[in-house]
Amino acid sequence: MLSSMAAAGSVTAALQVTEVLEAIVSCCVGPEGRQVLCTKPTGEVLLSRNGGRLLEALHLEHPIARMIVDCVSSHLKKTGDGAKTFIIYLCHLLRGLHSITEKEKDSLMCENIQTYGRHWKNCCQWKFISQALLTFQTQVLDGIMDQYLSRHFLSIFSSAKEKTLCRSSLELLLEAYFCGRVGRNNHKFISQLMCDYFFKCTTCKSGTDVFELVDDCFVELNVGVTGLPVSDSRIIAGLVLQKDFSRYCPADGDIRMVIVTETIQPLFSASGSEFILNSEAQFQTSQFWIMEKTKAIMKHLCSQNVTLLLSSVRQPDLVIYYAGVNGISVVECLSSEEISLIQRIIGLSPFVPLHALSQCEISNTALVKFCKPLILRSRRYVHLGLISTCTFIPHCIVLCGPVQGLIKQHEDALHGAFKMLRQLFKDLDLNYVTQANDQSDTASLFICKNSGESYKVPDARNGSIQKPYPDTVIENKDELEKTQTYLKAYSNLAISDVELETYIPYSIPKLTPADTFQTDETLRCLSLEKNRLIGDYEALLKSSSTAYSTRGNNRIEICYENLQVTNITGKGGLLPVSFKLQNMGTSQSYLSSSVPAGCVLPVGGNFEILLHYYLLNYAKKCHQSEETVVSIIANALLGIPKVLYKSKTGKDSFPHMYIRAVHALQTNEPIVSSQAGLESVTGKCQLLTSVLQCLTKILTIDLVITVKRHPQKVHSQDSEDEL
Amino acid sequence: MSRLDAKKPSLCKSEPLTSERVRTTLSVLKRIVTSCYGPSGRLKQLHNGSGGYVCTTSQSSALLSHLSVTHPILKILTASVQNHVSSFSDCGLFTAILCCNLIENVQRLGLTPTSVIRLNTHLLSLCISYLKSETCGCRIPVDFSSTQILLCLVRSILTSKPACTLTRAETEHISALILRAFLLTIPENAEGHIILGKCLIVPLKGQRVIDSTVLPGILIEMSEVQLMRLLPIKKSAALKVALFCTTLSGDISDTGEGTVVLSYGVSLENAVLDQLLNLGRQLVSDHVDLVLCQKVIHPSLKQFLNMHRVIAIDRIGVTLMEPLTKMTGTQPIGSLGSISPNSYGSVKDVCTAKFGSKHFVHLIPNEATICSLLLCNRNDAAWDELKLTCQAALHVLQLTLKEPWALLGGGCTETHLAAYIRHKTHNNPESILKDDECTQTELQLIAEAFCSALESVVGSLEHDGGEILTDMKYGHLWSVQADSPCLVNWPDLLSQCGCGLYNSREELSWSFLRSTHHPFVPQTCLSHEAVGSVSNLTLDCLTAKLSGLQVAVETANLILDLSYVIEDTN
Repeated sequence: MLSSMAAAGSVTAALQVTEVLEAIVSCCVGPEGRQVLCTKPTGEVLLSRNGGRLLEALHLEHPIARMIVDCVSSHLKKTGDGAKTFIIYLCHLLRGLHSITEKEKDSLMCENIQTYGRHWKNCCQWKFISQALLTFQTQVLDGIMDQYLSRHFLSIFSSAKEKTLCRSSLELLLEAYFCGRVGRNNHKFISQLMCDYFFKCTTCKSGTDVFELVDDCFVELNVGVTGLPVSDSRIIAGLVLQKDFSRYCPADGDIRMVIVTETIQPLFSASGSEFILNSEAQFQTSQFWIMEKTKAIMKHLCSQNVTLLLSSVRQPDLVIYYAGVNGISVVECLSSEEISLIQRIIGLSPFVPLHALSQCEISNTALVKFCKPLILRSRRYVHLGLISTCTFIPHCIVLCGPVQGLIKQHEDALHGAFKMLRQLFKDLDLNYVTQANDQSDTASLFICKNSGESYKVPDARNGSIQKPYPDTVIENKDELEKTQTYLKAYSNLAISDVELETYIPYSIPKLTPADTFQTDETLRCLSLEKNRLIGDYEALLKSSSTAYSTRGNNRIEICYENLQVTNITGKGGLLPVSFKLQNMGTSQSYLSSSVPAGCVLPVGGNFEILLHYYLLNYAKKCHQSEETVVSIIANALLGIPKVLYKSKTGKDSFPHMYIRAVHALQTNEPIVSSQAGLESVTGKCQLLTSVLQCLTKILTIDLVITVKRHPQKVHSQDSEDEL
Repeated sequence: MSRLDAKKPSLCKSEPLTSERVRTTLSVLKRIVTSCYGPSGRLKQLHNGSGGYVCTTSQSSALLSHLSVTHPILKILTASVQNHVSSFSDCGLFTAILCCNLIENVQRLGLTPTSVIRLNTHLLSLCISYLKSETCGCRIPVDFSSTQILLCLVRSILTSKPACTLTRAETEHISALILRAFLLTIPENAEGHIILGKCLIVPLKGQRVIDSTVLPGILIEMSEVQLMRLLPIKKSAALKVALFCTTLSGDISDTGEGTVVLSYGVSLENAVLDQLLNLGRQLVSDHVDLVLCQKVIHPSLKQFLNMHRVIAIDRIGVTLMEPLTKMTGTQPIGSLGSISPNSYGSVKDVCTAKFGSKHFVHLIPNEATICSLLLCNRNDAAWDELKLTCQAALHVLQLTLKEPWALLGGGCTETHLAAYIRHKTHNNPESILKDDECTQTELQLIAEAFCSALESVVGSLEHDGGEILTDMKYGHLWSVQADSPCLVNWPDLLSQCGCGLYNSREELSWSFLRSTHHPFVPQTCLSHEAVGSVSNLTLDCLTAKLSGLQVAVETANLILDLSYVIEDTN
């Protein structure tokens, strides 16, 4: 009975499902990827290379497939990127696991156990593997990233302190990003467009808040125009509202504007009230009063030099008429998103008409550079030259294309790029565990490496970077790297008491204010203060550690690193504050560090090959059971570069490239990548974590039972029981 | 809890272009559009089996909007052509045919989509830069000081739409009208930024085409009875106009969100009517001569105004509001109370007019850029086609004003361009390939596919079994009638080329368009004498053609790049 409705939730089933998905997504991966056409039930046609969108459009029925799609979409919600890679990883991981079982099955065959029994046994085995995966993901993966991979990271910033970007490195990053997301004849153009947009919208002072604003309001910041070639897309200064003027009065000189969120004309009767009319004259007087009041408000606005009225609601004819008489242009029915965007840019609060007459001067006005109709392909829009009060300089993207589906694709890709940049500008926390016995191993290994390498590595890095990326400046990267290696050295060695003392006193004053003050402004003051503090300590340290002059230098860099960590926790406010140095000296140490903002690697599977290499090295030192799991993960990572190099032949083919890369790693030479372009490390790390979590979830399921009715929610009943 | 049906899984097909079904549907669409192309194109009758409106057309805008396509690939194709037409009004069929041809030709080659798309893009940019360059041999400047080239442009559009069913004389008449209407929309003393006016097309079906006319100002249709009530006003000066956008019907406009309680015996209707009559008194005392209202005017107010020799016209409708505001210079009034004196406008004169069986009030402007094109044609279907054509022609003239160039029509631009591309790719392939990973062979194959796609577009100008030739000097198109005797002297058979610029008296050599011939350099740089001497040229709009070319190649690239089609079946 049960077996008719239930199917074994096995790796085999999951593998079959993901292989189908892999076949679909792998055709859109990378620079050689192609387009997929999706239709909606409404008849709309959409072009897409976006993995998330494709998976959604498929409306999958298989329960495991639905679970995978859920995992992908929750990953996308967080990072906005990597759906296709997700599926490919997952598929290769499952394939790896499957091949092990096949082997074991052969050995089990002779034992002749009943099928059900074997199934349960398998399940127990899966559960064991899934636990191993979980341990790996939570305790080991970040460590490998931090200890081994981090030395290969490049920084996108031309100066890490101010997080400034130079155009050429942003171009490399974006071109690689759009390669996988828009049609191949458009990706160069779109990435140029995005680059232009980025530099037009930001000033040197702009921080991550600009990305947040653009990411949140991207729909309002672009206008789609069908029927024109893609190459007509452009950036225009100011904000374009997708509405026409209800009344347009050309105005010269100063243009002042107000925002209203209610009708200016007083209502005849307010909601919830009763208005009792006793005579016709009373009605006429009240009508007259309304009219005069409206007229007076509009006159008053005019006397305050207001020439533009933006309204989120529809205004009555009377208001429009008096606006016209007083030379005020009106735009009505703006969406709440548009209003909130304008408010975010210029920091203007809405104007309340009824209070207006009591004040002689209206405070809620803002100056606008220009305000004129904009005609794009015979549709009229309102074009506003807002004067920004934040770090975002308002610009709009006009996206042209022959069909709506293509414009939508470009819009999605641009939006995704901003999401990616938003992630890139944040640090990614890494937490991992080092066992004591292992520690001594790795530590000693590290120290000998450090002694020989720490001075050699930067040089090698410089060489490797200067060739393919002449414009990326990465001096700071080296410093950071050094810092990290030294930190590791410290964390694993017994550190003298003197050093510990020098750290603890000034990590405390930095932390306490961060907890007590919450607002941004105070934080800003705080950071200034901190800089000063650090400066003092620098001097202090230099003077005190004369004996260790070289080490002294390094320590200063460490302070800087710590400062960065506090900054982040101060802003986030929620993350547990932990320093590497605070957890030292225990046999099992919990370490935490971070991938600093702006870390990138060259595209073309570099990340995957590096991680693969280091994971295999790590696996050699593990116990046998752990070794299989780690090597499965390591081998699955190669799935991505395999797909990317599928069309290449000869010396560029995957096996050649792989051998070259591994050889370079073994001899400590820089890996030469055939493709120009960069990709964010943060996204890759998050992706790997999500995939492993998804796999763990799949493995823990042993049976899929089809039920005819909806599974009931149990939470409410529980709470009743408690009562 | 709401009941939701589970979504059905979507259909997913790989490599859609290789499927037989897609190929057949594409070729059906191609047959439909190619058979419509050009002056001798065949008409299509589109109708619903259960009756109703019948559309007879050969225009892409009408054809594609009535055609219901189901396959997603066709949807992409038709949508991009429709979007192109709605922004440029011309070259829709050209775009559709070129796109179909490109897909078909490239598919046959079996190259990888990457190189196909890359090379197609290169060839497209080669075309665009040539057509925009000074040396272009198929582009002529448009001289706005004489009507000759502008008339040629309009005439070419009219003759390419056979469903308008115009005779030669009618074509001449309508072309002249369209040009006049266009010139009327240009402001007389414009400085710097020009804002064009508007030409309103007024339908008059069942009349002779020759009766069509253009009038400055606005015509408002009215029944004869209403017209009789309007008193003739004799006034030497301009008439004062009040234009209302709010209703004057005496409805109680919104009373807010609360409830209104009326005491017994209180009549709001009377109160509002009092208000309206007060308004009437104000209008009369302000010496308003003409009251126009978008919505309804209360009969009492109308009568009151008539008594005071004020003309009142209501139910104007929202479409006429903007031209009326522009023409009279009024501020549309939204108030029943005090009216500010500067919101009145003026017209020069008001008169009544009768065209065919219809009566109109004609508002004559002082000086304005609004005009009415009274368009007549024999039946509904032909009128609809003629109206679309006139709109297209007016739009093309506007585009030409922005970019004062025209391309030689009649297929000459396409053959010339194909000859140019062939020559370029044959003699100088390195400059096109540059650092790309494509090989020369690939380039030759794609270039051949591209050029033959262009040439098959003009090949479809010929529907009566005639032959198409090209000369080896200018690369223009020449057509021969079907039943012409073979083995005669070519110059005797061919009188002039497709666009009418060259005639066969010159020493030229010809070859069949479809035959393979050696690439040659088509003569670039058009001489001014050659253009000036010809009075009857066939011309195309440069802006529309350029965009059509781009859209066709971009759409073809898009379709060739598809690897999967996911169809949502919900």
